[in-house]
Amino acid sequence: MLVYLKIYRYNPEAGRNVPSFDTYNIEAEPTDRVLDLLEHIKGEIDGTISFRRSCAHGVCGSDAMRINGRNLLACKALVKDVGNEITVEPILGLPVLKDMIVDMEPFFDSYKSIMPFLVNEDVPADGKERRQSPEQRERFDDTTKCILCAACTTSCPVFWADDQYVGPAAMVNAHRFIFDSRDQAADKRLEILADHGGAFRCRTAFNCTEACPREIHVTQAIAEVKNAITSGGVEY
Amino acid sequence: MAAPSTPLKNTVKGYATYMGREGHYAFLLHRLTGLGVLLFLTIHILDTATVYFYPSLYEHAIELYRATPFMLGEIGLLFAVIYHGVNGLRIAVTDMWMPKRWAIEKQRKAVRLTLVVAILLWTPGALVMLYNLLLHNFGVDLLAMLPFGK
Ligand code: HEM
Ligand code: HEM
Ligand code: SF4
Ligand code: FES
Repeated sequence: MLVYLKIYRYNPEAGRNVPSFDTYNIEAEPTDRVLDLLEHIKGEIDGTISFRRSCAHGVCGSDAMRINGRNLLACKALVKDVGNEITVEPILGLPVLKDMIVDMEPFFDSYKSIMPFLVNEDVPADGKERRQSPEQRERFDDTTKCILCAACTTSCPVFWADDQYVGPAAMVNAHRFIFDSRDQAADKRLEILADHGGAFRCRTAFNCTEACPREIHVTQAIAEVKNAITSGGVEY
Repeated sequence: MAAPSTPLKNTVKGYATYMGREGHYAFLLHRLTGLGVLLFLTIHILDTATVYFYPSLYEHAIELYRATPFMLGEIGLLFAVIYHGVNGLRIAVTDMWMPKRWAIEKQRKAVRLTLVVAILLWTPGALVMLYNLLLHNFGVDLLAMLPFGK
């Protein structure tokens, strides 16, 4: 089938200081992924086009972009699902450096701010392992799946308006440790998220949950964080 | 150097072009109705205050509110208050007591249901207001036009 592609371009080094669109008509299979089309253009038509990708199989989280107005991983978006008129733009709310490449630093700063690592100063009871029941593990199973693609955070209307908002991805990763019975810093993380720019900025617009390529229940995780804050902590 | 952009531009662009699902439109409508009612309330407090400070101005304001565009606006205002309230309850109840209902299929249904409930609650009031509008501003008595009379 013939696909009509419209691609966002911005490249100050090459004198393209004003964001604009390039269009391409290319042959594609319905089962091709949008990433395949971008690779085709970069390889065969215009080598200057820039985008991030690594795994090409939905696990590294590097190719989140706005495809026909929705945040998707280009490597998981099939032509037959997005249609034969395809507009590709960078994710919204992070500074655009070049074409589809955005500056991810503010996103990772938010991620780092919630202490995304296990905190436990005690020696395990048997000296080796910190044990946990299947039920205790289940509590945060969903939020372990995050690949930090930023599809959720950059689909959020609150984040668009204020990049000081910590955003859904950081809260998903905070949830992963807050509800882990082996961790000892839940109160510290809840304190951070109780602050201005934290969990209560969430307006439940639900774009994050709809956008997550890992099907994480993002809004639910945020609600559980809010409830842990208002009830004064977590019981494991 | 990054492409020129501001939070305001991103917000306007996102509101206007992000292809969200039900939840996104519920969010926009909730914000729009909340701000709309807030705007009305501000004007409303100012105009009711004139009854004390400036009675003749108050009379004028009331006169204005009887004009057709304002009465239509009031029918819209009623919807805004009702939708904002019903949707606010959906959000608050889900967030506080049933966070597991923040799941895609459940929320798509819940948002649609919210709109249906709001329209059902709005309809009787809207009909009464429309009846009065037609009667007083156009001399049309809808009740008298019913086949079984008044
Ligand atoms: C009828 C009773 C009302 C209920 C149950 C209600 C409920 C809510 C809730 C739950 C929110 C937060 C939404 C969220 O976190 O996503 C909210 C936001 C808001 N409400 Fe209300 N509200 C009511 C009446 C009003 C009135 C009378 C006004 C105006 C004077 C108003 C103006 C607003 C505004 C401006 C927002 C912020 C909207 C936003 O951030 O998007 N509300 N309301
Ligand atoms: C178009 C419909 C409305 C009409 C005709 C109307 C009319 C009035 C009138 C005549 C008063 C003065 C009452 C007095 O002097 O004791 C009043 C007061 C007030 N109204 Fe409304 N109103 C309307 C809608 C609303 C709405 C939607 C809200 C809330 C968002 C609201 C909030 C208030 C408040 C807070 C007061 C002051 C209460 C007081 O002074 O005791 N009104 N309204
Ligand atoms: S929660 Fe989902 S959408 Fe958000 S960063 Fe993680 S994988 Fe991406
Ligand atoms: S390229 Fe790794 S997630 Fe798409």
